[in-house]
Amino acid sequence: MCLILPLSLALVVAVFAMIGQERAMEATVRSYVQTLADNMSFRLNADFERYDNSDLEAFLAPMSHYPVFSWGLSIPGWVAYVNKDGSVLLSSPGVHDISGIWRHNLPIGSAVQVFDHSGDRYTVAVSPVTYGYVVAAVAWRELLGGVMRDEIWLGLIFFVILIGTAWAINRMWRRLFSPLSELANEIDRLRMGKDVPNEIDGASVIEIERIHKALTLFAAAAIERNKLHNYYVQNTVKDQEKERIDVAREIHDGPLQDVTALLQHIRIAVEDGSDVRERIKKTERLAMAVVRELRGLCDELAPPWMELGVADALTELAERLSQNYDIDITTEVVQQTPPLDLGAERNLSLLRIFQEAVSNAVRHGDATKVQGRLFVEGDSRAVFEITDNGKGFDPGVDHEILRLDGHRGLANMTERMALMGGTFQVKSTSAGGTCIRCVLNNAFEKSA
Amino acid sequence: MPIRVILADDHPLTRAGIAEFLKRESTLELIGEAEDGLGAWQMIQEMKPDVALLDIRMPGFDGIAIAQKIKEAKIPTAAVMLTSYDAQRYVMASLRAGARGFILKTVTPKELTSAITTVNKGGFYLDPEAASVMGEREFVPEQLSTREHEVLLLAAKGLSSKEVAAKLFISERTVQTHLASIYDKLGSRNKTEALLLSLKYGVLSLEELLED
Repeated sequence: MCLILPLSLALVVAVFAMIGQERAMEATVRSYVQTLADNMSFRLNADFERYDNSDLEAFLAPMSHYPVFSWGLSIPGWVAYVNKDGSVLLSSPGVHDISGIWRHNLPIGSAVQVFDHSGDRYTVAVSPVTYGYVVAAVAWRELLGGVMRDEIWLGLIFFVILIGTAWAINRMWRRLFSPLSELANEIDRLRMGKDVPNEIDGASVIEIERIHKALTLFAAAAIERNKLHNYYVQNTVKDQEKERIDVAREIHDGPLQDVTALLQHIRIAVEDGSDVRERIKKTERLAMAVVRELRGLCDELAPPWMELGVADALTELAERLSQNYDIDITTEVVQQTPPLDLGAERNLSLLRIFQEAVSNAVRHGDATKVQGRLFVEGDSRAVFEITDNGKGFDPGVDHEILRLDGHRGLANMTERMALMGGTFQVKSTSAGGTCIRCVLNNAFEKSA
Repeated sequence: MPIRVILADDHPLTRAGIAEFLKRESTLELIGEAEDGLGAWQMIQEMKPDVALLDIRMPGFDGIAIAQKIKEAKIPTAAVMLTSYDAQRYVMASLRAGARGFILKTVTPKELTSAITTVNKGGFYLDPEAASVMGEREFVPEQLSTREHEVLLLAAKGLSSKEVAAKLFISERTVQTHLASIYDKLGSRNKTEALLLSLKYGVLSLEELLED
């Protein structure tokens, strides 16, 4: 469309311009031949009066000195003196026979267009003179050259428009409609998250290529996301299964054994009858052990003291970890008015992160001191910083690679923070010490 | 005159077991049982028992919230937490809320009676199982300085080191130094232990802790 419109418009304008020009030329030529014919007839008549006009032959001989008869015209055309039958008496050089354009009914005093036998166009003017007529004519074929003779050029322009249009339509089809419909089919067929679109063949307009490129990028991203999602789901399922197995094993190895032993002691007491008191005392001790084990298991699975709020929960966790690892672990929550209430889920996440960080610091960093600090920064940001005095590590290491190697700590912490819409940063050097900085935006929003 | 006791626990078996203990004791009288926090609070308001045994986790109000309400309403009832959880922070949270005692549900009848009698007389009782530091051991803590006493009291009220520092116009580092010295004198390994031990040895009193 962008090609065919201006092209056609230019051609139409050209046609109009040419038609206008031809008309002007025609008027000029008509007036020219008329003037020429009238002028020559006037001169010849005047000459006839001066000479004895009984002898035509004698009269004609000197007339040939007129330049129009001896040299011809300066433009393509000629002048002839003909008798009443149209036979040439005198003429511009090269003109002997005008029977092709001669008509008896040619009007006098007004130039007309005449076509000869071969279809060539002439503008002809006739002016009466003694014994005959002066005929002046301009041949358009010679005046305009080969191309412009007749109306060939009009047909040519039409042809050019036709070719141009066909070419433009063809180009539009190949570069616009065909790729567009191919693209539409491609989109219909495309299974997002599974396929990438095929290359579109042939050259298409740049816009379609760009759309195709964008589509390819989207499709590739969808596949990537799909893969990642599957990977996470698999991971989650694996984690869940592992956790179930772990919990089952702990129950099996701990409370289940103890309760079994308890049951055996009760049965012995019932059947034996002697030393009942002593045996019941034993079962009491066993039952206490079961309670402790179950309590520990509950603490590990989901610490019930979570409900005390983040400050007390963190302190409790720090004190428990401190006793487990036998190192100095402290936490501090800078109090706010109103108090910072992150909600149970976010509290638990921070607790788990702290747990993980302490475990990393002890196991990998040989730290002897870990400190957690939760405070509010700005209007709405909660920051949880965990620093240790361990060996440190290279923080540039890719969490995903670590995760694939089975070290999930850093990746888990990052994911926990991401799930809460927060950020997770590790600052560490091989020189020693690690600082983990978790930032929660919108800390005062309950919904998060 | 027997000590009037109410018992609130949402677990019927546990409630029945504890109630059995209480009924055997002639010095105690179980005057009411509640299965949730709302019922317990209503009972306390109406009956004004001498001692209320409250489960921490209950539907309606939890035990700590009820202890807080008793304190705020100035009802002369001694709240005792009765729980399955041995977290020391529960102990601290309960004491801050105004509870006079903290015992685990695995308590022996003897300990239960002893706890109720102690809190009824105005003392406080912590289950050694929950607060392991409270166990029997012969230890006479070194005297705390006035400054250390101030630091310990503010920390016990739940202030962070930074806030304690701001309140006493000293640096945070100085607060840490004081705390380290306090731990050392009381023989504790952490803040919670220090607070519990200071209550045990009478370095701090519950009344001081509950002052605003």
